[in-house]
Amino acid sequence: MTPLARWTLVAVGATALVTFPYWSAAWESTRFATTLLRDALILAIFALSLDILVGRAGMPSLGHAAFFGGGAYAAGIAGQRLATDQLPVTLGAAALFAAVLAFVIGILVVRSEGIFFLMLTLALAQIVFAIAFQWTAVTGGSNGLSGVGRPMLGAVDLSSPDLTYVLVAVTFIVAALVVWGLARSPYGRALIGVRENERRMRALGYDTARLRLSAFVLAGTMAGIAGALSAYSTRFVSAQDAGLGNSVRAFVTVLVGGAGTLGGPIAGSALVSLIERVVPSLLPPELRISEAILGVVFIAFVLFARQGMVGLGRSAWLRVRSR
Amino acid sequence: MIEIRQLRRAFGGVVALDGVSLTIPEGERRAVIGPNGAGKTTLINLLTGEIRPTGGAVRLVGLDVTALRSWQRARLGLAHVYQRTELFPPLSARENVALAVAARRGPYRVLRAAPPSEHADADAMLDRVGLAGREEVLARALSHGERRQLELAVALAQGPRVLLLDEPTAGMSPVETARITELVAGLDRTLTILIVEHDMDVVFRLADRVTVLHEGRVIADGTAAEVRGDALVHDVYLGKAVTVA
Repeated sequence: MTPLARWTLVAVGATALVTFPYWSAAWESTRFATTLLRDALILAIFALSLDILVGRAGMPSLGHAAFFGGGAYAAGIAGQRLATDQLPVTLGAAALFAAVLAFVIGILVVRSEGIFFLMLTLALAQIVFAIAFQWTAVTGGSNGLSGVGRPMLGAVDLSSPDLTYVLVAVTFIVAALVVWGLARSPYGRALIGVRENERRMRALGYDTARLRLSAFVLAGTMAGIAGALSAYSTRFVSAQDAGLGNSVRAFVTVLVGGAGTLGGPIAGSALVSLIERVVPSLLPPELRISEAILGVVFIAFVLFARQGMVGLGRSAWLRVRSR
Repeated sequence: MIEIRQLRRAFGGVVALDGVSLTIPEGERRAVIGPNGAGKTTLINLLTGEIRPTGGAVRLVGLDVTALRSWQRARLGLAHVYQRTELFPPLSARENVALAVAARRGPYRVLRAAPPSEHADADAMLDRVGLAGREEVLARALSHGERRQLELAVALAQGPRVLLLDEPTAGMSPVETARITELVAGLDRTLTILIVEHDMDVVFRLADRVTVLHEGRVIADGTAAEVRGDALVHDVYLGKAVTVA
């Protein structure tokens, strides 16, 4: 495929994705699919950000929800305290707060590796969760933060389901393009170098601690933006958004889809969203246990398909071609 | 170019290096030999900064680098070929070398592919070490000998002023050993080289001077011919090698 043909295809696909609520309106009057797709895309941004750490830089974080939740709270609280609904302000606050939080946590964790990195990110994210859960005056505590402002772009109100969806879809496309560009840049290659052989990277003259910190801040910022989108969508932030459950959910999404690839986290979020939101409605009430189903699917992938859905797709493609 | 003063390193109660001093002027090729456990690899690791000395000082390119980290020393012009192959297995030979080429320009170039010149530089270096035609092959798919060649290409692509070679021909066939030896022999004479090697043919082919380590101390130091004639060296090292052979 020529580059022109490929980019045309991407542009057509992106346009179709962004305009989904408009061409689906005829058969989708309840807006169920639009809401489902919106939440899947938010999860995809969140998972893409985590995959910068897990898949590219080899940093298995189990605390990524701290930045998702941090961004969600920052967007909501900044809007309320500054008495503005302007998207650049609230989304900017979310990105900035998540970046600062990731910088502070990053400094503490980037020098550790493997299981220690995992446990440290988990522990520090639990502190963030505890603050969100306890500091009722600011975060609403266990009741959550309600009354998140509507996303306004100038005089345009993006709070209708269709326009919130468009906001999410556009952000998703930007995020996917960023990750795609990153993967083929010298920066992306350097992250793979850190993942594969950090000692060698140091011997080549790379300040690997700084590289890892930069990846951590970048991933945290992206997660914060995903969190803000979630806050706009539901106009509500729950402390659980910053909790361990949400960190695990993103981790499972990345691994089920396929770590270290662009398509993996996206495919993973589609599958996880289906299991969470569609599969239960197809089952008898006593079997509506989406977490258990997700757990079984996760175990199946870990045991039989380490490369995730993308890996399964690749080997199927190779088998078809070799025939 | 390399200046070591009273360098000491103990691991717990075991003294691996016991007050070693060494001066290697610019452009010299120095071999460090000695039996296993003499402290050769410890010396290399202290030079690269991967471990910290218990005492003493290291100077490189005229600067005291004792307190500097390994990546900072690399930026000053120090390159290192490890004893065990240390590559990036899922990356191609070209990308392995490109990582070294790109190190000088820094990693914070995002959202754009690497400039073609980096790949051209990498390919030129691969050609130089005899890996022309293998650019696209993943490092993990290369043979052992090819991986050692790639190691050397990566180190040279850093554009070093000081090159540390830790048993560069270990595990190589005689043909591969000869090729690497000639390649190193043909390197720019302004490059300062410290080589740790067991193969005495390689040592005497490459080294201007030889330093002999034994139990963490320098027991002999001189031209290749002088060291070859040294009785003590024969006792602890060369003699033993001869009887084994």
